[in-house]
Amino acid sequence: MHELAEHAIGAAVGAGAGYADARVLLRRAQNVSTKNGEVDSVSDSETEGIGVRVVLDGAWGFAGDPRLSEEGARDAALRAVAFARASASRAKTRVELAPLAVETGEYRTPMEQDPIEVPLERKIELCLRAEEGLRRREVKIAEASVRALRESKFFCSSEGGRIRQDVVECGGGIDALAVADDGRVQARSYPSAHGGSSAQAGWEYVESLGLEREAARVGEEAATLLTADPCPSGVMTVVIDSEQMELQVHESVGHPTELDRVYGTEAAYAGTSFLKPEDLDALRYGSEHMNVTADPTTPGGLGSFAYDDEGAPARRRPVVAAGLLVGFLASRQTSALIGRDLAGSMRADSWSRMPLVRMTNLHLEPGEGTLEELIADVDDGIFLSTNKSWSIDDKRLNFQFGTQIAWEIKRGTLGRMLRDATYMGVTPQFWGALDAVAGHGEWRLHGLTNCGKGQPGQHAHVSHGTAPARFRDVRVGVRG
Amino acid sequence: MSRALELAERAWRAAEGDEADALVHVEESGFARFAGSEVHQPTLIRDETVTVRVVRDGRWGCATTNRVDEDGLRAVARRAAEAAGRSPVDPGFAGLQDAAEVPAVEGYDEQTAALTPEEQADAAAAAITAAEGFGLYGYYTSGVTQVAVASSTGHAVSQDLTDVSVLALAATEAASGFAEASGWRAGDVDPAAVATEAADKAARTHGASEIEPRTYRAVLEPYAFSELLFYFGFSSLNALAFLEGRSYLSGRLGERIFHPSFNLRDDALDPAGLPKAFDLEGVPKQEVTLVEEGVARDVVWDRRTAKQAGDGRVSTGHGLSAPAQSFGPIPFNLSVAPGDASLEDLAAHVEDGIHVTRLHYLGVVDPREGIITGMTRDGTFRIEGGRVTEPLVNLRFTTSVPDLAAKLLGLGRDVTLVNRSDFYDERYPYGTLVPAVATEAFTIVGTGSGPGL
Repeated sequence: MHELAEHAIGAAVGAGAGYADARVLLRRAQNVSTKNGEVDSVSDSETEGIGVRVVLDGAWGFAGDPRLSEEGARDAALRAVAFARASASRAKTRVELAPLAVETGEYRTPMEQDPIEVPLERKIELCLRAEEGLRRREVKIAEASVRALRESKFFCSSEGGRIRQDVVECGGGIDALAVADDGRVQARSYPSAHGGSSAQAGWEYVESLGLEREAARVGEEAATLLTADPCPSGVMTVVIDSEQMELQVHESVGHPTELDRVYGTEAAYAGTSFLKPEDLDALRYGSEHMNVTADPTTPGGLGSFAYDDEGAPARRRPVVAAGLLVGFLASRQTSALIGRDLAGSMRADSWSRMPLVRMTNLHLEPGEGTLEELIADVDDGIFLSTNKSWSIDDKRLNFQFGTQIAWEIKRGTLGRMLRDATYMGVTPQFWGALDAVAGHGEWRLHGLTNCGKGQPGQHAHVSHGTAPARFRDVRVGVRG
Repeated sequence: MSRALELAERAWRAAEGDEADALVHVEESGFARFAGSEVHQPTLIRDETVTVRVVRDGRWGCATTNRVDEDGLRAVARRAAEAAGRSPVDPGFAGLQDAAEVPAVEGYDEQTAALTPEEQADAAAAAITAAEGFGLYGYYTSGVTQVAVASSTGHAVSQDLTDVSVLALAATEAASGFAEASGWRAGDVDPAAVATEAADKAARTHGASEIEPRTYRAVLEPYAFSELLFYFGFSSLNALAFLEGRSYLSGRLGERIFHPSFNLRDDALDPAGLPKAFDLEGVPKQEVTLVEEGVARDVVWDRRTAKQAGDGRVSTGHGLSAPAQSFGPIPFNLSVAPGDASLEDLAAHVEDGIHVTRLHYLGVVDPREGIITGMTRDGTFRIEGGRVTEPLVNLRFTTSVPDLAAKLLGLGRDVTLVNRSDFYDERYPYGTLVPAVATEAFTIVGTGSGPGL
C-alpha cells in the first residue's frame, strides 16, 4: 500500500505540488445492538481508499478516491492538484508548514483478542444477557450494544515520511428507558450515555466493562428516577462524576484549545475559541487544581497513535498546568502560525476527508483523595452523574449540560436521588471554581466516538481520563 | 440503467439463493471551504458504497463495502449472509419492499452535476469577494449523488440527485452575520448574494448589549427555526420515539397542541425542497401531514415501526438504511406552511422582544416535553417598539418547541430551503422549507459572548 501512496505523491509533485502526502486506509467495523430481547441491528462495514493532500503555490488541495490502484491514486493526486491550483491564484496568504523530521515507523494497538474476530453470536449473546438485567416493569426500552473496528493506515509524504499504523478499537454500553404511567420518561446508561464507552484495545476491554454486572443497578435507577424529586434550582457546590467530567473536559477544554479554532478556521460550523494565540503561557484557565494533558501515547486511548495523520510523532504535552494555559492542540500549519513546535494532533476520520486538528487523548490529571472525601467536604450541594444533554456556545464559553441522575449532598453525605439535573457556567469562571479533583484511584479512561467537526463533517474517536471533581458556586437546575 | 442501480442489481444477486436487497450510494462532490476569506480544507470526494441486506428464515444481516468489483460484491454478500445466519429470528423485521412504482420527482440538474472543481472554487471566490470588509467563513459545495435500491422481490428504483449549498459567516473580531442558500440547481443559488446578506447582517452587530434572562417574544429567521424544528422532528416526529413514549406527540395525536395557524408536513416530493422519490429501504415517499391547523395528526414511519404499530399502518417512506434503523424513521423534508407577514410585520407583532438569525449547538434536554437548549449567534437583535433595534450578545435559550409553536404571533410569507445536512458520511442532501416565525415564548436562560470571532 505504501507503493500506491508514493505513486500518488509522485503524480502530485509531477503536476506541480510543492508538498504532498497520501494516506491509504482500509477499515472494517462491526456493530451489534439488541433491544428488548431482540436483535436490533447487526452491521458489518468496510471501506478503503486513498486520500491525497497537496500544497501548490501556497494553497491546499485534497481529493479522495476509493480505487486502490495506480489509476485511483493518480486520479486523486491530479484532482487535488487541480483543486489547489484553482484557488492558488487568489490566495492572499500562503500555507506554511512547520518543519518536521522525516519519520518512518510502525504502530500497532496492543491487544489480546481481535474484536472483529469474536463471533457475532458471542456479541449478540453478551448484549442480550446484559440487556436482560435492565428489565423492570417501568423499563420499557432495554438496549445493549457492542462495537469493533480494525483499520490499517499507510502514510507517505513528499518529504520522505513512510508510516504504517494498525489500530483496533472496541466498546459497548447499556441503556434503560423507564416510562411512567403518565408518560414521563427517564434514562440511565452505563458506562456512558450516547453509545457506551470504547477503547483502543482487544475484546478483553468489552469483557472488562461488566455490562451484565451493572445492568441491575442501571435498570433500578432508571425506574426510581421516575418518582424522584426534580433537581432544585440555585447556586451551590457540585461534585461531578468521572463520566460527566469526560464531557466537561471535552467541550470546555478540548475544543477551545484546538489551534485551528483559535485562528478561526472552524468559525462557520463548530465555532471558534475564547482563547487567543497570545494567551499561551499567560491565561489563567482555572484554579491551581486544574491540570490537563494531551497524551496520544495513553494505553487504551482512542486517540493513541505513534504518528498523527500528517506524520508528526505522538508526544505527551501539558495543556493546562496548575490552572495556566500552557499548550494548544495543533497541526504543522497552525504550529507555523504560532511559532511553536506543537504539531501532532491532525486526524482524519476517513480516507475521503482531509485531516483536521482534533483531540487525541485529553486528560484531567488526578488530584488526591476519594470521591467520598470530595462529597464529605460539601455542606449543601449536588452530585451529578452521567451525561444526558450538552450544549456550548461557539466560543466555548457559555455551556449548559444535563445529567441523567443526581443526588443531593447534605452535610457531607449523599441524600435523595434527583431527576432532570442541569448546570451551566462560563468556562474560565467554572474551572476557576474547581477546588478538588479526586486521586488516581478514581481516575478512569473514557472513550467516545461521536465528536463532530469540519465541513464536510468528520467524526473523531477520542479518550479522556478523568476523576470526579468538585466545583463551588455553580448554577444548577436551569429550567426552560 | 444508472451506475447505482447497476451496482445494486449486481450486489443483491451476489447473495445467491437468499432473499436480499442492496442500497447503493454513488457520490461525486466538491467542497470549496473557506475561512478568513482564504480557501481552507478544500475536499473532493468520489465514492461508491453498497449495503447488502440478506434475509434467511426471519433472520437478517447486513454488510457494507465500497469495493465494487465482483470479488468485493461477493464478499459483502457473504458477510451479510453470515450475519443473517448467526442472528436470532427477528420478529419485528417487516420484510423487504415489494416491487412498487415510486413517484416521479425533480431534483437533478445537468448543469449542477457538471460543475468542475474550478467552478466550485470560482463560486467560493465570488462569495469571498462580495463580503468585502469582513472575513468570510463557510463553503460552496455541490455534488451529484445516485441512490438506488434493488432487491430479490423485483423492486428496483434509482434516483439521481444534485445539490448545491453556500454557507457564509461574515465576521470580524467584534461582529458577525450569517446567511445560507441551498437548492438542487446551481443556478438558483447566488454565492455573492448570500455573502452580501451575511455581511449586511454582520455590519449591524457591533456593540452588542446584554439582556436579562426571561421568556421573550421573538422572531426566528428561517435558519434558526429550521434547526429548532429539525431537532424537534428527530426526537418527536419519529414513529419509533412515538411508539416508545419518548416523543412529545406520544398520546397527543388528535389534540390541538399548536397554534391554529401552524401547519407542518414532511414533503419529499416538493420541487422547492430537495426531492426524494423513495427512502433508503426503497419505499416510495409519501407526503405526510404532521400538524394540521395546530392539531397533531401523525408522525413519519418506516417499515419496521409500521409493522410494530399494526392496525394497517404502512411505511410513509422515511426509513434509514438497514444498519441505521435503530434511530427510527426521520422526517428529512419538513415543510411549514407560510403565513402572510414580512419580517418587518413579524417584528411589529412581537413589539418588544428579540430577533434571532441563527442557532448553535442544540441539545435536547427533555424529548418528552420538547425542550431544547442552545445558543443564538451571528445576528441577535433587540426588538423595541415593533422594530429591530440594537444588537445583542449571544443568548442561551432553553425553550419548549411545542410552546413556541403554540404561541405563534405570525408566520412569514417567504419560505426558505435551509440545508440540514452537515455532510458526514455518504452525501444525502436534505433540508427544511420554513418561513420566519414570531412567537410569544422563547425562553432565554443566560447570556454568552458577543458576536464576532
